[in-house]
Amino acid sequence: MRLFSVVNREIPIAKRRSLTALFLLFFLFALPVVKSADFFPAGIDTVYASEDAAKPATPAGEGEVKAAQPEEKKKEYPPAPQLKESDYPQVKYINGRIMTWMVAQLHLWFAAFVLAVPIFVFIIEAIGMATKDKRYDKLAYEFIKVSLTAYSITAVFGGLLLFTLVVFYPDFMKYMANIFSPTFLAYALIFFAESACLYIYYYGWHAMETGFSKWAHLTVGWMLNVVGTMLMFFANAWVTFMMSPHGVDANGVFEGNLWAAIHNHLWNPINLHRVIANVAYGGSVVGAYAAYKFLSARTQEDRAHYDWMGYTANFIAIAALLPLPFAGYWLIAEIYAYSQQMGITAMGGVFAWLFITQAVLIGALFLSANYYLWCGMERSKGAVKYTKYIKYIAFVIVTCFLVWFTPHTLILTPGELKALGGPYHKYLGPLGIMPAKNTAVNIMLLFTFLSFMLYQRCNKIPTVSWASRGNAFQIAIFVTAIINIGILGIYYGYFTNTVYKVASSVLQVASTLSVIILCTVINIFMYKGAKEVAPLQWGKMPDRSQYALFLLAVSFTWLMGLMGYIRSALRQHWHVYTVFRDSSPDAYTPTIGYAANVVTVATILFMAFVIFIFWLSTLSGKKETAHH
Amino acid sequence: MKIPRLLLFVIIVAVVYGIFKAPGFFLKQPIPSSLILMYMFFVVITVLLWMTSTEEGMQGLVGPIKALIEDPGKKRLRNIVFVIVPLVAGFITYQQIKPSYEAPVELRSIHPAPPASIKVFNKTFSLQTLENPYRKLEKEDPAKFTQLVKEGGEVYFKNCFYCHGDKLNGRGHYAHGFNPLPLNFTDIGTIAQLQESFLFWRISTGGPGLPKEAAPWISSMPIWGNFLTEDDVWKVILFLYNYTGYVPRSWEK
Amino acid sequence: MKNFLKVVIFSVLVVVFYTLFANKYIPSIKPSPPPAEAKLDLGAMTMEQFIHLGDEIFHGKGTCELCHNPVGGRAPLLDQVGKTAEERLKDPRYKGKAKTGEEYILESMKEPSTFVVAGFGVKGTNDTQSPMPVVTSGAIGLKDFEVDAVIAYFQNKAGVNVTVELPKEAPSAGAEETAHVMVPAKTPEEVVTKYGCGACHKIAGQQGALGPDLTKIGAKKNKEYLRRAVINPGAEIAAGFPPGMMPPDFGAKMLAGELEMLVDYLAKSK
Repeated sequence: MRLFSVVNREIPIAKRRSLTALFLLFFLFALPVVKSADFFPAGIDTVYASEDAAKPATPAGEGEVKAAQPEEKKKEYPPAPQLKESDYPQVKYINGRIMTWMVAQLHLWFAAFVLAVPIFVFIIEAIGMATKDKRYDKLAYEFIKVSLTAYSITAVFGGLLLFTLVVFYPDFMKYMANIFSPTFLAYALIFFAESACLYIYYYGWHAMETGFSKWAHLTVGWMLNVVGTMLMFFANAWVTFMMSPHGVDANGVFEGNLWAAIHNHLWNPINLHRVIANVAYGGSVVGAYAAYKFLSARTQEDRAHYDWMGYTANFIAIAALLPLPFAGYWLIAEIYAYSQQMGITAMGGVFAWLFITQAVLIGALFLSANYYLWCGMERSKGAVKYTKYIKYIAFVIVTCFLVWFTPHTLILTPGELKALGGPYHKYLGPLGIMPAKNTAVNIMLLFTFLSFMLYQRCNKIPTVSWASRGNAFQIAIFVTAIINIGILGIYYGYFTNTVYKVASSVLQVASTLSVIILCTVINIFMYKGAKEVAPLQWGKMPDRSQYALFLLAVSFTWLMGLMGYIRSALRQHWHVYTVFRDSSPDAYTPTIGYAANVVTVATILFMAFVIFIFWLSTLSGKKETAHH
Repeated sequence: MKIPRLLLFVIIVAVVYGIFKAPGFFLKQPIPSSLILMYMFFVVITVLLWMTSTEEGMQGLVGPIKALIEDPGKKRLRNIVFVIVPLVAGFITYQQIKPSYEAPVELRSIHPAPPASIKVFNKTFSLQTLENPYRKLEKEDPAKFTQLVKEGGEVYFKNCFYCHGDKLNGRGHYAHGFNPLPLNFTDIGTIAQLQESFLFWRISTGGPGLPKEAAPWISSMPIWGNFLTEDDVWKVILFLYNYTGYVPRSWEK
Repeated sequence: MKNFLKVVIFSVLVVVFYTLFANKYIPSIKPSPPPAEAKLDLGAMTMEQFIHLGDEIFHGKGTCELCHNPVGGRAPLLDQVGKTAEERLKDPRYKGKAKTGEEYILESMKEPSTFVVAGFGVKGTNDTQSPMPVVTSGAIGLKDFEVDAVIAYFQNKAGVNVTVELPKEAPSAGAEETAHVMVPAKTPEEVVTKYGCGACHKIAGQQGALGPDLTKIGAKKNKEYLRRAVINPGAEIAAGFPPGMMPPDFGAKMLAGELEMLVDYLAKSK
């Protein structure tokens, strides 16, 4: 036993060192590669000089083409190169695109996770400070511990991504570097800042537990979030520049305004969408972690703790999931506004079916989130009076979901086609377009929120005198909002023009959000000093409910992979949309099935890594228990 | 009387299935079988989730099945069920895989993505920026605009009406010779969802102008670029929107 | 361990369900492959594309069709030139260096006066001097690979074997120019060059001989007349020239500013 603890005590330090070393190694390793590929220009003015100097070394056929362009245009920046298939290095047995795709996807999953966790760790720590409830602090610490190893793996995959890009797409990276090289430097610096913040935040947790130093600790947490988000915004700028290039002319010649290139058309929509989605995603992964710990817990105390942790994580995930459809809608609207071709490719063309797949996944997310809440009512004996409502909520949610799932283009057998007289369906047709789906999703959100409200009040009875009026008022708000959403969706969606349609969807969102906010506020006052009739018994939760948390995490992961594919595939055969053509043999757009297969393999890899991380964290957990 | 959970489950699923089948029987608008399959999948899942959300419900649902398998007193019933279930499964499988004369399912996307630019009327048009040159007259010169719409109507009734119909509902004289039917412009899912440049593309390049992903190219739409002038096409687009009362998709207010 | 396996199996099943859904339920639509490069990639060009390029040059940039058309009869028709080139080599009047049909066509484009088809020479020179401008210089300025493309087009059209070789690599400057960019001309000389007026007219230092001499036109005609002559050439035909020679579509092609510049320039040419 003693030996055991000695051995294990060594692990965190060794782990920490080795992982830091690994990540530093990657970073240092990546830089020379970059340098040798002429990737970091020493100075923008000299880059062509060096390129010309390098000319004799390159094969004659290639060198001339590229050298001729900067000579002709005496401008500071070159146009986007016109590449040939031979400009893309081929590595035997490795498909460059799939490799880059997988690595980028894995990097993104981990990055989303490690960016999200500090956001709610910060919130939970603040709640813990405000309520002086030790549980929150412990929970926050456990969260950040989970994300620490993930952080190193994120960095490793980031380095690997850079490496694959430089190996498989050297000319593309060179072009991007010409425009974005100042941001690369900033990115590296901010990355170091983030590492510093994270290490101080985690390792200083127990040292900075009281008084002023706790405030300092919280500030570090805040900074960690700021630098982390900045990092993501930089990466988003590169990605969105590729989709909606700005600050370059039609030939891809950079006009010299870096801010214009960063602040391109889709930058802010993607920023918003990713921040929200990250939080939802981080919550779901931590939820899965808690669920696993719950299932394997041996003591009642552990069960209660991990039940509570799973509940909190799920709460975070769902709270972030609620506004996500709106952020997504904004993003798609902006894509449409940027380019009709891109918009129709996304919504009406090949990818229309991808959104059907997405609908299935999001339906699964909503159903499992609701299921978890319904099961959670078991925690209190007072819930009996609400369980009878579950079936109505289930009915509304499934109805909305079926509307949402109905595709615009139906798969018809010839017999059905004949019976209908054409590909249009009189009743399903109107359900296939956006107004129906907006209406459905808003109502679905409202009812998910209703599930949550019922759950919240299952163990309490309000004592304030206006309780019955308060309830009536809340019901009135709900009914009004649903009618409002319905009218907005049906009247403005079908009987006026598309400009109003977009505007009406904003109003729908506004009514949904105001219901959520109003009801929450009313609840806070109504349940102040409420009588607790049957206390929540944490840990009294059926095992099957935990699978809802796994479903949530797995579906989120897979869905992110799929949506990442479509975001990237919208560019079609362009590296930088309409400016820099992708001439590689893999420039074609794969089918959804192919993409799904790649995403599945990547998801399974990711899950394996996550299991590894959790296993590592159990090791240090064992150490703690052994130590005590 | 309280209906046993398992029975309730079966009843709900059967009733919902009946509801989905109803439009096909009574209204001649069958819901596609592929869609019913998915609908039913989610209905079954949701009903199961609802029923298993409480411990009591879970027992009500699983209890009878468990009893059927484990209870020695139910031997006869068990034997019957164990014969029927594989038979039903076998029958369904047979129905699924037996060869039929049904033609394979074809899928057409109704609004394929337009190309970036098209070549028609001996010019290259960039669809990204193309706008109807007459649209602005709607506000600036309503009298002229009405005149143009009228001319567009003439173009329509001289060329398009034979298939797309006098009410623009896709039920013209020749329409019934085609499968799929000509587009119904009064449907909210058609021109109301599109920008004018999309219509310009589809009218002037017709069926042969469809991109590959819109295959199979079962469209008899002629290449109107060969018969009409650029002006005619823009005018007829004005007419289509004016007649149906829809407003083309746009992003500025 | 049992829990672990259960969870892993459950998660994998979920993923497999999604994968099957995306592969089996969702119809598999193959997105259209990337369209062929719009810009020229000479290194990777097929012969068909090359011939097509020649076609475009013949009708467009090369301005060949202005004269080599069946209407005016001022220049020989070229749809059979791929075949007839060989016969021309045997013509006793032929004094050039070409040995093959391909070389003959090339020569006739670069040195038009080497051999003039009977009846098509400049008046009074007894078919020793060709009115055709040199296509590789001046107003037309075709690149070598473009000339080759036109030859390939001729040979293909006449149904003989295409003997020209595909270009090895892209002379990038040339490739860029072929991309049709509508840049407004800045000077009257540029207008003349851009629209190839010099191919037929004596104007701005160019020595076209098919149409009227325009170097002193400003002395005889006013602006109104000149403008009309560009926009609607058939309205009034200068004495001694056959009608229908000048393309009627300059009015549609030219930018308004260019037209005015040209008219001003002509009116001042005295």
